[in-house]
Amino acid sequence: MLPLSLLRGAINHPVLVELKNGETYNGQLMNVDNWMNLNLKDVICTSKDGEKFWKMGECYIRGSSIKYMRVPDEVAEIVKADMARNKSRPDKRPGSYNNNRGGGGGRGGLFRGRGGGPGGPGRGGGKSFRGGGYGSGGDRGGHGDFNGQASRE
Amino acid sequence: MSAPTSTLDAFYGKKVLIITNDGRTLVGSFQGYDQTINVVLTDSSERVYSSHQGIQTVPLGAYMVRGDNIAIVGEVNEEEDAQLDFDAIKAEPLRHIVH
Repeated sequence: MLPLSLLRGAINHPVLVELKNGETYNGQLMNVDNWMNLNLKDVICTSKDGEKFWKMGECYIRGSSIKYMRVPDEVAEIVKADMARNKSRPDKRPGSYNNNRGGGGGRGGLFRGRGGGPGGPGRGGGKSFRGGGYGSGGDRGGHGDFNGQASRE
Repeated sequence: MSAPTSTLDAFYGKKVLIITNDGRTLVGSFQGYDQTINVVLTDSSERVYSSHQGIQTVPLGAYMVRGDNIAIVGEVNEEEDAQLDFDAIKAEPLRHIVH
């Protein structure tokens, strides 16, 4: 489990963050980026000695100032289960590796758009500007060629 | 005992002990790491040393320790670890790293 995957899984969950200066921040994790910069909401900040407290609605924490983070146990379990599930089937998320890049998918593949097929609605209709209504095809596998030929004729 | 490596791959799923730059000792099940040695532990706990009483164990749960803050990661020999009598071990806490 990658550390950043765990943190992304912890979005909308309560977390505890200790900074290098010893302050701790308790709050709901709103967002994390690749540098581990965080957005928290409904935050309680505790001073290093544990004697002073500040409440704040929202805060932003620079990733490089973090010492460690504590996340709820169930988040770790969910992220672990998600990983096991993603491993067992081909990855269909956009932008990931192994996602049928290039060959076949890019320009419509098998179902390349032809403006609704022979005699289909919209074929030859001058007002149709996006490939003629139903069955324009091309929506399987990547960004298909939506501009069927009907409108170009 | 496996041969030493320069990665943490051998630790996946194992019980490890991390000593942090501020001198804390964390023990937990190693779940993963990244290129900056940020480490994920589950079922983790901190072992608090003191010179006048035995080791206190503070349960912490799922933890992400930032690589910047990690000094040592080591595999725990679970058999030997289970033999330890924490109440009888008294030691000065480690001091933090001085740069």
